[in-house]
Amino acid sequence: MGLGELLGTYGQNYLDGLLATWSMTAVSFVFVMVLAVLVTVARVSPVAPLRGLGELYVQVFRNIPGVALLILVAYALPQLRLVLPWRTCVIVTVVLLGSAFGSENFMSGINTIGAGQIEAARSIGLTFTQILRHIVIPQALRTTVLPMTNLLIAVMLTTALGSQVPMTPQELTGVVSYVNTRATGGILAFLVSALGYVLTAFVISLVGNRLDKRVRILR
Amino acid sequence: MSARTQSAPSVRAALYEAPGPRTKRLIAVGTVLSALVVAALVAAVVRQFYVTGQLAPRYWSFLLEWPTWRFLLQGFVGTVEVALTAGAIALVLGLALMLGRTSGPRPVSAACRLVTDFFRGVPSLLLIYFFFLVVPQYGIRMPAFWMLTLPVALAASGVLAEVFRAGVNAVPKGQVEAAYSIGLSRWKTMRLIVLPQAVRYVIPSLIAQLVVVVKDTTVAYVVSYPDLMQNARVLITNYDALLSMYLVVSVVYVLINFAINKASVYVAHRTGVKIIR
Repeated sequence: MGLGELLGTYGQNYLDGLLATWSMTAVSFVFVMVLAVLVTVARVSPVAPLRGLGELYVQVFRNIPGVALLILVAYALPQLRLVLPWRTCVIVTVVLLGSAFGSENFMSGINTIGAGQIEAARSIGLTFTQILRHIVIPQALRTTVLPMTNLLIAVMLTTALGSQVPMTPQELTGVVSYVNTRATGGILAFLVSALGYVLTAFVISLVGNRLDKRVRILR
Repeated sequence: MSARTQSAPSVRAALYEAPGPRTKRLIAVGTVLSALVVAALVAAVVRQFYVTGQLAPRYWSFLLEWPTWRFLLQGFVGTVEVALTAGAIALVLGLALMLGRTSGPRPVSAACRLVTDFFRGVPSLLLIYFFFLVVPQYGIRMPAFWMLTLPVALAASGVLAEVFRAGVNAVPKGQVEAAYSIGLSRWKTMRLIVLPQAVRYVIPSLIAQLVVVVKDTTVAYVVSYPDLMQNARVLITNYDALLSMYLVVSVVYVLINFAINKASVYVAHRTGVKIIR
């Protein structure tokens, strides 16, 4: 099957797949960021049970394989009478996984600030909220631009889990399996999807690097 | 993504002043309240298990029998075999890609960079579908083991190439210049001066990457290779106990990966190097 024929027959599938991957990535990443902030707040809070919960959350979702989590969300939760649409299942899975790594990024961003700065801030009389607003959060955000760029790419790659559930429209990986079970798409059928991912990742990291250069703190 | 090498005065500790009596009371109230919320959450989950009948003994009793665990253990051996083989291949391939990129002639360097970025930018599931659906179309028949191991290895090799490159970059420039100035060739400098140190820098990161490899192997059911997950699925159809089995297997995976991560942090701590991810 040539490229023309492949795109002629399945072009719409690929386009839908690319858009599905993009939209799921975007939606997931927003929730990843929100949840990562919440988990990080819990992890640095002075309240012991919250800290414990935050640590547990991160350890569980950092270490669970994506497929195992997706299966739990998509096939085990209905046994507890909690049925979500397929697409939501995938997004929930991606968000749970991604936010654990996002929180790790924020934590290492906070840890690079150094206790000395906070002590200095306190000694010139800044209050707790002022320390957070003027010292911790701006620096933590600026040092996490690059890790978060990589996380965005990782989130996009994780949405490939969508190929494991009967989602409509399918995302890029699902399209490859769809095309190849109907026709002998050959290596091209695979390469079209792969390029969709690689080029998107390339653009994301390009933008991320630009942004990082602009806001990076040289130490 | 974390880089905890020394836990000296932690930022978390520095963030708060020594609490006064009022704050102490506030923290105590917060502690009790949040403990209650957590307990309520757990209770709600257990209740939902109970209400839907998932706590019935028939869903859990088979987990107390040795044959169940022997079968899961067989699957675990399968997982270990794939993970270690894929890890070994990725190690060699990643090193080769990195060497090609950093010290090969220009076309080789560009090609290695392209390959590295490709494998890093593509989901491992897509690579697995490639070996499962596309490769057989060209008349190549592969056992399930390789249909799983090769894509996992390729996906990891791209990441490892970058890990190795970070290790090479961490070796001080002056050493390379010194090596050139005493007349060592580029290749000899790489082999004798840079690589031995770079490899030592990245050992903890390499261990941490094993987690990713183990995670990737869980899609073995796509190619019907009997790994831990696939054997769990077989047990599920035998015992009709979906929720309990998947929950147990997920916990097993989390524990395995947690142990690997801990090992990586331990080695990093011992050798005093950062974990690059």
